[in-house]
Amino acid sequence: MSLVRTEEQRSLAEIVRSFVAKRSPLSAIRVMITEGRAYDQDVWRTLSGELGLSGLIVPEHHGGTGGSWADLAVALAELGAGLVPSPLLASGVLVSGALMASDDEDVKAELLPRLADGSLLGALAVSEAESPRWIPDRPRTVARNDGDGVRLSGRKNAVLNGCEADVLLVQAVREGRSELHLVDRGTSGLSVTRTPAIDPTRSVASVELEDCLARPLAGDATAALSQLADLADFALAAEQVGALRACLEMTVQYAGSRFAFGQPIGAYQGVKHKLADMYTQWSLCDAALRVAAEAEGSAEQPTTAAAVRALTSSTYADAAQTAMLLHGGLGFTWEHDAHLYLKNAIAGNVLLGEPAERLERVALGLGLA
Amino acid sequence: MTTSTSDAGFRTRVRTFLQDRAKPAGSPTGSSTEDLPRADASPLQEAKAFQRAVWDAGLAGITWPREYGGQGLSTDELVAYNQVAADFELPTIPLSIGMGMVGPTLVELGTDEQKARYLPPLLRGDEVWCQMFSEPDAGSDVAALRTRALRTADGWVVSGQKTWTSNAQWSDYGVVLARTDPSAPKHRGITMFVVDMHAPGVTVRPLVVATGLAPFNEVFFDGVALPADAVVGEVDRGWQAAVAMLRHERVSIGTRVQTRANALGFDSLTELVRSRRWPPDPVTRRQLADAHVREAAVLAYGQVLQAEVKAGIEAGARGSVAKLAGAELRLWQARLAQELLGPDIALGAPGTAAAALGIIAAPGVATAGGTNEIQRNIIAERILGLPKDGGIAARDTPFDQIRTTR
Repeated sequence: MSLVRTEEQRSLAEIVRSFVAKRSPLSAIRVMITEGRAYDQDVWRTLSGELGLSGLIVPEHHGGTGGSWADLAVALAELGAGLVPSPLLASGVLVSGALMASDDEDVKAELLPRLADGSLLGALAVSEAESPRWIPDRPRTVARNDGDGVRLSGRKNAVLNGCEADVLLVQAVREGRSELHLVDRGTSGLSVTRTPAIDPTRSVASVELEDCLARPLAGDATAALSQLADLADFALAAEQVGALRACLEMTVQYAGSRFAFGQPIGAYQGVKHKLADMYTQWSLCDAALRVAAEAEGSAEQPTTAAAVRALTSSTYADAAQTAMLLHGGLGFTWEHDAHLYLKNAIAGNVLLGEPAERLERVALGLGLA
Repeated sequence: MTTSTSDAGFRTRVRTFLQDRAKPAGSPTGSSTEDLPRADASPLQEAKAFQRAVWDAGLAGITWPREYGGQGLSTDELVAYNQVAADFELPTIPLSIGMGMVGPTLVELGTDEQKARYLPPLLRGDEVWCQMFSEPDAGSDVAALRTRALRTADGWVVSGQKTWTSNAQWSDYGVVLARTDPSAPKHRGITMFVVDMHAPGVTVRPLVVATGLAPFNEVFFDGVALPADAVVGEVDRGWQAAVAMLRHERVSIGTRVQTRANALGFDSLTELVRSRRWPPDPVTRRQLADAHVREAAVLAYGQVLQAEVKAGIEAGARGSVAKLAGAELRLWQARLAQELLGPDIALGAPGTAAAALGIIAAPGVATAGGTNEIQRNIIAERILGLPKDGGIAARDTPFDQIRTTR
């Protein structure tokens, strides 16, 4: 039953929350951003090693802990609340998830254990500037046979943690079929460039492939990527449910301690009603997330995952702006954390697919198309 | 979700009974204006007959004590009953206040005599109840009520006016809040009474609302005599009784599964679009998807709340969150219906009457049971812990006595 948090999930949340507070507070994240680093190595070592989050959803026989989506949501919500930069989403969710959904048993056996223990970092390269969708139906990146090997040529954008990855999982077309290919870092013809993205807590790259040697994955890539899209929507929504809660808590705290006209500003309905609305919206997103977790593996999985993402991403973007506004002039300063959430929310609303794409997925699931 | 064998057996029993006694949800007349409650006798007779059948089937008062005619079962069975019932159109409105609010409150606070006298006829569908809290000058601030109850040698005499009273037009009994001690602070001088609605001095008038229908009433008390044993709970402790009743109301709303007949719901709006332009254009398609997303989230919240209450996690003031979310959803649906079908609705095109009525009724649905502003105050103060609004500091307060941030 995913609707009520289990004892284990509550304890996981508590462990991740206190880890974030001690080891990755926003003050430390700011220093890291200023130094141009994508994430903190020590933090990642603990997240992937001691806390085992990079292997959370990977099956036990592939070196993970075989956790559910509901478990993943609990951990991601706490990391999202702290805006913790890490390759977890890119590597431990997107790449691991895509491999788990694929039929290539050899690649799974080889890579999943290393992704699960965090020793290998992967990045998923699907998006292309020419396609309105995160996962194009027909990518322009092409794969051609070259003797015993395969070579890729094309351009990918919005690749999460592309610069930090040891291996890229690239969608390309070969002989009319959409496929997934592995490209190692350092392969000749591969160039990866960090994008000057709006959200400094996420490292995003553009990728150029010029006749790069690649290893194709066996099986139906379209089905695997469709499965993955559900997980991607769900996981990002989980992070955002946490971040939304952080915006709410930060602003409630401020509204209770900032005085104007003789009383805390949180006593005024102009302020408290906005916070009541934010709490209500967080409650709805959190409930939709739990229902989507419960739908993992069922026929409702695509619709509930797209639905929670559609609801949460836009709600968070509005809430981050409201949070900044309710902090008044203070909220607009560089020193205050409100802008970090606002930028994370703006980018998160279009990362891994835009709002229209999510609603189209819901519509498809409901038979409206 | 897993269901145990006994649960499945109970559901089968409920379904078999309802298939025999009720119309399926969404039947042609189900969402038409003709089926909305009106002050005529037929819905009342229908409701009484249906409740009698529920009683005969051993399904009346699922969670109520057996000694007063109930079944003595848990909320699991109540929830199961309501989930099965969502597939049917049940004629329960005339008896809903008695079943959902008054009955559970009497179970909690009534004397043995009150329970023995009132509960069995309520469960048999013989007696209809209403609840009288709101007054013309006491809505959101209901503790400001002015209806007076004066003590007499052998009881009380009540005078005043109540409003927004559902079902009063066909009620045999009602519970009323009246002020018994005007010199006490406003929450401490109120008492709850049982009133015979057929007693001399009680006048019920229909209250016509924006839709043109009269789903509520005004009730006037002109020196109505009550016996001493009409008090529910204790004298001057009526506010506590009212809070208990409102808690039962929220549970009743929370465990009630929405019927699939909401004229502004995703299913209904999709059907209206389907009959006009199909397949829908991309904008319409996304709007309908959005309608599903928002509706599903409100339902999800209700499910989470229910599951948590079952697991022993108190709902507390989160009933107000469910109420506000449901109200905002309804208002959003009303706006969407106008975007999708505005001209048809405005010009009364065939098939749009229920949606038109739903749009006009949406503000009323949102306000019933407490305005959105009151729900927001409750959420902000009781859940988020924000301070009550004390009003701005008076102009003549010395500056060193005005509280500031530092």
